[in-house]
Amino acid sequence: MNMLTRKLIAKDFYLNRWLLVGTTVAGLVALLIAAEGEMRFKIGMITWLTAIVAFGVVLATFAIANERKERTLQFVLSLPLSHGDYVRIKVIGLMLCFLAPWAVLSAGAVALVAIMPNLPDGMLPIIVLLCGFMLANYAVVLCSALHTASEGLMTLVIIVTNMGITLFMFLILGLPELREQLMAPVPVWNSTFWTVLAVEFAALLVTMSLPYFVAARRRDFI
Amino acid sequence: MTQTKHIEMRNVRKAFRFFTLEDLSLDLEPGQIMGLVGPNGAGKSTTIRLLTGLLAPDAGEVRVLGHVMPDNQAVAKRDIGFVSDEMRLFGHATLEWHMQFIASIYAGWDEQYARTLVKRFNLHAKQNVSGLSSGEHVKAVLLLALARRPRLLILDEPTSGLDPVARHELLSEFMDVLRDEDRSILFSSHNTVDVERISDRIAFIDRGRLIDSSDKEDFLERWRRIQLQLPAGAAMPELPHVVSRVQDGQFVTLTTNQYSPDLISFLGAGVREVQRMSLEEIFVANVMHHRELRGS
Repeated sequence: MNMLTRKLIAKDFYLNRWLLVGTTVAGLVALLIAAEGEMRFKIGMITWLTAIVAFGVVLATFAIANERKERTLQFVLSLPLSHGDYVRIKVIGLMLCFLAPWAVLSAGAVALVAIMPNLPDGMLPIIVLLCGFMLANYAVVLCSALHTASEGLMTLVIIVTNMGITLFMFLILGLPELREQLMAPVPVWNSTFWTVLAVEFAALLVTMSLPYFVAARRRDFI
Repeated sequence: MTQTKHIEMRNVRKAFRFFTLEDLSLDLEPGQIMGLVGPNGAGKSTTIRLLTGLLAPDAGEVRVLGHVMPDNQAVAKRDIGFVSDEMRLFGHATLEWHMQFIASIYAGWDEQYARTLVKRFNLHAKQNVSGLSSGEHVKAVLLLALARRPRLLILDEPTSGLDPVARHELLSEFMDVLRDEDRSILFSSHNTVDVERISDRIAFIDRGRLIDSSDKEDFLERWRRIQLQLPAGAAMPELPHVVSRVQDGQFVTLTTNQYSPDLISFLGAGVREVQRMSLEEIFVANVMHHRELRGS
């Protein structure tokens, strides 16, 4: 990673620092709320989920779409980098920006389920898969923002990816191998879990590599 | 030894749905300030985007500081300071942060000069960029470009929206850059007063075509407005290099783009006055003449 790449990644961390901190705090508060009682658990987990998803949308929109809309992109592109460099830096930088709160909040959710005696540890595989899905979901939003300058298309992507979380929950809870272990006293890391996780990982890799083949090869950037 | 041209555009074409930049060839030598002058929608910004690697030509070749654009833009932009009136800094960060950011990227960053410009432009380094007025914002962007001491400054309408005092300050800074003979400036504007003040070469562009390019002094020497009074009943003879002719009875006003004392001798005693033309007058006459030639 060269100096300019590091500087531009650091720039994205700096400009989004309050968003990162705010999301992390909001997500941790949501997990605290979720720690006690069934209703509070539901409210807390929905808030936790919303915090991560909304963070991803705001981060990609603010750091890519707004950079284009507010014309700070011209300033960035006046620096000694190519279009390919810009795309690579955005993919790496904004993924790292997302990973910081995502990792803390995912670890927090896993710790919550593992520590709280009233929550069955059988939920852990579902929590892990949900965290993995949110990461892949963010990758779709991030890469869409790099591919399109259309606000309408971005809005559509955001709506579809948000709906995707609900559909994903239906899908994995529809799988008997996962659903039947949900209330188990110990987590069951069966083959279905590993298959879904592998699909999520593959989707993440494919999505993250697309900008290198499309957006980075664009000859006209503005 | 021949120095590398700072800008070389050869037969460049760039087509959009409703606009085409056609067959553009342009050179800028080290140490020159070129004013790229054209009306709104002429193709100035497209030309500059091609030069800064933001757009790729459909045909022809663009070289900046010897580097082919946009392929080698990352290398070329190490020595280019690009400022556009559309360019915006990050609103939530201070000017100080921007200065540190640029300083950390460009080895040639001149901290002392940057501090001098902060004072000269009456900016406040600790102020968030979102709190700057539009004029202050332009000055801040220019400061960031100037203090990196680039070999080539590319400025797209940098003085638009500035008050006369701010424009005067900025133009003085541009002149200061040219103290080093290896540096050059391409300066696009539709404000011919600014261009006339600082440029030593001028290129006129209109409707996607370069219509004329020359030294400023050459333009000012070549173009004249000549007022004639014809003898009663005499017809105005056809003359070469006359780009416009306005006749009111015996009184004729000619505009020529190839003025010479021989022309005055030829016209004889009927010449009442020979007027030098401002760059704005030359620009307008030039544009109108080429539009007539192209039948539009």
